[in-house]
Amino acid sequence: MSTTSLAYTSGNKAAASQWAVETHGLTKRFGENVAVNGVELLVPRGCAFGYLGPNGAGKTTTIRLLLGLIQPSEGHGEIFGLDCQRHPIEAHRRLAFVAGEANLWPSLTGAETLHLLGRVQGQVDKAYREELIARFDLDPTKKVRAYSKGNRQKLILIGALMARPDLLVLDEPTSGLDPLMEQAFRHSIHEARERGQTVFLSSHIMSEVEALCDRVGILREGRLVEMGTLAQMRHLSALTVEATFSEGSVPDLSGVPGVSSVQVDGRLVRCQVRGSVEPLLKALVAAGVTELLSREPSLEELFLAQYGVHGKSPDTSHDAS
Amino acid sequence: MQAEIADKKEAQVGRWPGTVVARLTARGAARSGVIWGSIFAIAIASSAISYSGIYKTLAQRDALAVAYGSNHATSALLGPAWQLQTVAGFTVFKVSMALMILGAVWGLLTSTRLLRGEEENGRWDLLLAGQTTRRRATAQALGGLAAGVFTLWAVASLVTVLSGLDSKVKIAAGPALYFSTAMVATAVMFLAVGAFCGQLSTSRRQAAGLGSVILGASYALRMVADSSAGLAWLRWATPLGWVEELQPLTRPRPFALVPIVALVIVFALGTLYLAGRRDLGAGTLSDRSNVLTIRQLPTTPLGLAAYLSRSVLLAWAASIFAYGLLLGGIAKSGGKIITSSPSLRSAFARLGVSGADAYLSVALLIMAVALSFVALGQVNAARREESSGQLENLLVRPFSRAVWLVERIALAVAALVLGGLLAGVATWLGAISDHASVKFSSLLSAGLNVSFPALLLFGVGVLVLAVAPRMVSIITYTLFVWFFLVEILGSVVNMNHWILDLSAFHQMAASPAAPIAWTANAVMVAIALVSVGFGVELFRHRDLRGE
Repeated sequence: MSTTSLAYTSGNKAAASQWAVETHGLTKRFGENVAVNGVELLVPRGCAFGYLGPNGAGKTTTIRLLLGLIQPSEGHGEIFGLDCQRHPIEAHRRLAFVAGEANLWPSLTGAETLHLLGRVQGQVDKAYREELIARFDLDPTKKVRAYSKGNRQKLILIGALMARPDLLVLDEPTSGLDPLMEQAFRHSIHEARERGQTVFLSSHIMSEVEALCDRVGILREGRLVEMGTLAQMRHLSALTVEATFSEGSVPDLSGVPGVSSVQVDGRLVRCQVRGSVEPLLKALVAAGVTELLSREPSLEELFLAQYGVHGKSPDTSHDAS
Repeated sequence: MQAEIADKKEAQVGRWPGTVVARLTARGAARSGVIWGSIFAIAIASSAISYSGIYKTLAQRDALAVAYGSNHATSALLGPAWQLQTVAGFTVFKVSMALMILGAVWGLLTSTRLLRGEEENGRWDLLLAGQTTRRRATAQALGGLAAGVFTLWAVASLVTVLSGLDSKVKIAAGPALYFSTAMVATAVMFLAVGAFCGQLSTSRRQAAGLGSVILGASYALRMVADSSAGLAWLRWATPLGWVEELQPLTRPRPFALVPIVALVIVFALGTLYLAGRRDLGAGTLSDRSNVLTIRQLPTTPLGLAAYLSRSVLLAWAASIFAYGLLLGGIAKSGGKIITSSPSLRSAFARLGVSGADAYLSVALLIMAVALSFVALGQVNAARREESSGQLENLLVRPFSRAVWLVERIALAVAALVLGGLLAGVATWLGAISDHASVKFSSLLSAGLNVSFPALLLFGVGVLVLAVAPRMVSIITYTLFVWFFLVEILGSVVNMNHWILDLSAFHQMAASPAAPIAWTANAVMVAIALVSVGFGVELFRHRDLRGE
């Protein structure tokens, strides 16, 4: 196949693909250790996808595979329909990456670094770059060597955002940022989303993912154990219920269908309910409930449900769901 | 099991919490100290043991002494030749200059790596968060370096003493220990120099560059001192001269240890003083490279590589130019001695060269060694860019790995070829200033000739970078030492020609005395091209790897 026809084919596939990121059976082994195990990811265009997992779960390895920095042991990944290993240049033209640790050239200034990165990227929105420098309050005349960790992180964030790429791949991007800069980052991501850019955000800061992402994937020991929208995941998860009773009328709810994790604290009963809430409501009314509060689980609770409070496996019924 | 190991480690750390930095540094320094000590030992033992086999009769030994004893040209290259009629005198003359330079390079690289390099990598942040101060941690690190150089000395001394027991060598244990101490002296001094430069500079690269300038100046001054009897006093002005003045195995002068010890103490105290005064990560010298014009901004990865390498490459270029001028400046006297002395002609004939240009051909061999260091520096710089994570900033953008590596290769090849040509031009300029009758074209091609071993070394280095990136440093430096030792020892030991043929320096013709061996050079280029070709292809498909 000639280069031209190859480019045409890959270009067509890229145009046709509805997924910004797509992996099939993506696996990476380092000797005996399986870092990523058969991951199947589908991230739609224009979506903000949160990639969650504790340290060592395989998040960064997945990203390095998607960027073509390391080779998969099995399976493959695609960026906008372009194979990450076979067409890395074309794929990289559509994306920008922010690592959790900014390893830059210490002898260059911030301005020189941005200039160089922009030249290599091939596209820079110069007006937006200046806006970002002001927003992140970065002094570009200083040498990288003189920057704090947070300032170095700002520099690579600006270097990625200024290209206005179709896909932003962010691996723990706010590491070292103060709360004000964290807000500036969130603002920039919202802007990117409004422009239709896709965001792939790897993080273990739940509040950040909850605020920015509409789809989430949870990684556990290299395997993708949960993926979907936050609404879907909440729907499938237990509802937290807190009920207050009058003195002496606290009922035993442990036998009520769908109810689990019952905790009694004086007149207050806290429990979780999965599936229909009708049996629980009947039991509560019969016992003379005086106050009732219910809420959907937070992302942190969803995450902890996957890992258990002490990192143990979640209950089997939840896995099955 | 793992818990037991963890407990043991915890117990070890807990027992001597105040010596963690010293032990970490000692571990790193001792590992390479054993390897380099073995190299020292092989060089000393093989030279001593082979002498009686090569120079069997008294007449042969007298001829050797006459040929080299009063020749200032060879003294400028290899140091003064004293008592060449003895095993001891010959061994000192044959190996001391090479070992002094190797020791100094080891000291410089080891201390800049284990002090400034560790600081640059951020590991000192963790260490200094413990119950220590910058000054105490630096003192511990200096202690660790001392342990490292002790292992180098111990290995070299053991083999030197054992070699002395050989019935043909007969060197007593005391003088043998004094000799090995003298050979390790430059290593000790340049460990201290490297540590001090690390406090002045803002990066390991800058520290090594600064130390190299000091080493280059010491060597140049020693050359001048050894090039004329009237200038011998100048030896007292250079660290390499102090080691020569120790005159081991010939006319021992232990008081020459005084300036050596004084230098080590002054630089060590200076290191401690500056370590306590400066901020972690900062240097003492002002960072003048801060000021850049727009024109100088690196706008491409190739421009970046050139920008980052420029100070090191310029320092090498200046050293090669100065060294060429110095060598060329004494070419005429060297050539005259060779032409007028039958014994010297015969001695050079043993090295495969003859005539008035013989001196310059030996001098240019040292240029080949210098260019090899440039090649090693370039391939290791490429590896550092990968291991530090800096390369990822480029490769996550629409920029191919192959292009990055090819650009790096192009830069190195240009530096090596231009460096060779510069060596030829500088030597020619020196020679004509001494009114020597040498042709510009012949020295220019002789200069180009010295680039080929460096090109071969670099090509193989690229292949190693692709196949075993974490082994680049150890494999490339080992290969260089192999080339160097075979060339140095091959001329005095009757080495098997298969072994000799495996040294790139041996394959390089002794130009301008001998015609350039274009076939051998073509083979070296072919090996380099094949290595680079495989290297680029394999690099495209392998995982990027950190430290």
